[in-house]
Amino acid sequence: MNPTQITPAHSPATERVWLLAAVAVVPILAAASLFVGVSNVSIETLLSDDTSARAAQVLMISRVPRTLALILAGAGIAVSGTIMQMLARNRFVEPSTAGTVESASLGILAVMLLAPDLPVFARMIVAALFAFLGTALFLAILRQIPLRSVLVVPLVGIMLGGVISAVTTFFAYRHDMMQSLGAWTMGDFSGVLQGRYELLWISFALTLVAYVAAGRFTVAGMGEAFATNVGLNYRRIVALGLVIVSMVTATVVATVGMVPFLGLIVPNVVSLAMGDNLRRTLPWIAIVGAGFVLACDIVGRVVLYPYEVPIGAVTGIIGSALFLHLLLRKNARVG
Amino acid sequence: MINRRKLLNAALGVAAMLVPLQAASAEEFRIEHTKGEIVLPERPKKVVVFDLATIDTLDALGVDIAGVPKARFPAYLSKYNGEDYAKVGSLFEPDLEALNALQPDLIIVGGRSSAKYDQVAALAPTIDLTVDQKDFVGSAKKNIDTLARLFGKESEAAEKLAALDATVAGTREAAAKAGKGLIVLTTGGKMSAYGPGSRFGVLYSDYGITPAREDLKTSNHGHAASFELILETNPDWLFVIDRDAAVGREGQSAAQYLDNELVAQTTAWKNGQVVYLDPARWYLIGAGLQAMQLNADQIAKALRKE
Repeated sequence: MNPTQITPAHSPATERVWLLAAVAVVPILAAASLFVGVSNVSIETLLSDDTSARAAQVLMISRVPRTLALILAGAGIAVSGTIMQMLARNRFVEPSTAGTVESASLGILAVMLLAPDLPVFARMIVAALFAFLGTALFLAILRQIPLRSVLVVPLVGIMLGGVISAVTTFFAYRHDMMQSLGAWTMGDFSGVLQGRYELLWISFALTLVAYVAAGRFTVAGMGEAFATNVGLNYRRIVALGLVIVSMVTATVVATVGMVPFLGLIVPNVVSLAMGDNLRRTLPWIAIVGAGFVLACDIVGRVVLYPYEVPIGAVTGIIGSALFLHLLLRKNARVG
Repeated sequence: MINRRKLLNAALGVAAMLVPLQAASAEEFRIEHTKGEIVLPERPKKVVVFDLATIDTLDALGVDIAGVPKARFPAYLSKYNGEDYAKVGSLFEPDLEALNALQPDLIIVGGRSSAKYDQVAALAPTIDLTVDQKDFVGSAKKNIDTLARLFGKESEAAEKLAALDATVAGTREAAAKAGKGLIVLTTGGKMSAYGPGSRFGVLYSDYGITPAREDLKTSNHGHAASFELILETNPDWLFVIDRDAAVGREGQSAAQYLDNELVAQTTAWKNGQVVYLDPARWYLIGAGLQAMQLNADQIAKALRKE
């Protein structure tokens, strides 16, 4: 059984042109991200004698780290979304529709309640462990469901996520932590500064690992029987995928909070244009993911200027609309 | 004759004035509150209070409380953590069984518990003493007066309110010369800023700090703010509430969070004019008589750099 395909509305060539155009915009977005913010950083202020010191400092301490964080997080989430889709063999699965993000939040809450003094790195490891267990549980549940309709899979994930976050809410409520938890998990890059985002490089390293193993994920996406037939250790591939997905999710949630829907939209859009060979598509997925996050964050910085709208809210709105679009389009074809 | 009529009129007038006065003392226990008014037959003896500000005020006035919510009371109210006080739910959610078992004469809700007014009002006479954020000190004082009258503690309240007024006057005087200030709340690695008219707007409206930004809209949870915003606003005084510390979290403290090269360039940071406000009193208690006095003391002291 192949992973269900979305047939492109246009010919793949047209889609590819769009994709190339989108990728070309990413460097522009990255540059824009360097120059959008409350402080006045522009070519002009960087060159003028009076203001260059201040502008350069803001650039180095605030803008460059934030832009890097956006790129690393965006690429990481998009790639881990793709891996999840291969492992669950379903297009509509990503860390936030598979219980992964909710499990990571539960992990963060556990650290906040039981060991609030743990350093950020240890906090992230705990979150990653929870994310790993939650995602493994999701895959185990999927294995028990004999008739897998396209829509049942994400529904199971969303329900599992609902159950896990109900547990989280229960303990957060009991300990008066609802707001702290809300603040932790709401995706928001406004606190990113030099020295406060570097964990995301871990997620970048894992993204590279994913690229190296891309071929195997593609094969694993064709099912356990197929993968075993061509001589792959299916379970090992699944385990590797789970580790990557949960570590990336945990680093992102622990540093900036969650960015919903990203891992779902980007891989789908890219596969419309380029198909499912991960070795070829993964770099594009990473770039488009970075671009999407950059764009959403810039919007969040501009809309309420000089205050910010958290990126989680921006992607939530744009993402849920796109998600619905993909679902309806899919549904029309299946039904 | 004319004189006599005048006298008679005057006497009648005095009598007419006396009648409502007498009526007022007979209706001593008519209480106006946010959700309307109630009349109690007598001075309530067994009182359950969900509103932390009211607990703070009743504690200051020496009124006994029978039941309180399960909460993290700050040190000066720590006796309410003890078992002498029945626990009747959380700050948000009443435990109706416990309330019913207690059979109180009066229930006081406010703020976080205000939404549950109807639920608890079905069990016993209930008043809602939520403060009006737009007139924080005014409505806080009104509540204190209401409570003082209800429990016959008018003289104690008057004395304490006079002391508070004196401190606030001193704060305003110092604030007028202190430059501009900004108040932020940090939680979970994020920060939000609050302007005049917001839940922490009392800093500007009553303690007299000149706002460093006028363009902050009022919303209960402030606006997400970046470090660049602090840098560009460049307040002379930065007031910080560490939300996570308010509930007993020590993790990443606000001081650690703010200690970076951007905040370090502000006048507030350079001159050591960053004031960490007591989070429990600002965030949890708010309009209590003792909390307001302690808060005013802290700001007055900070502004005088003691």
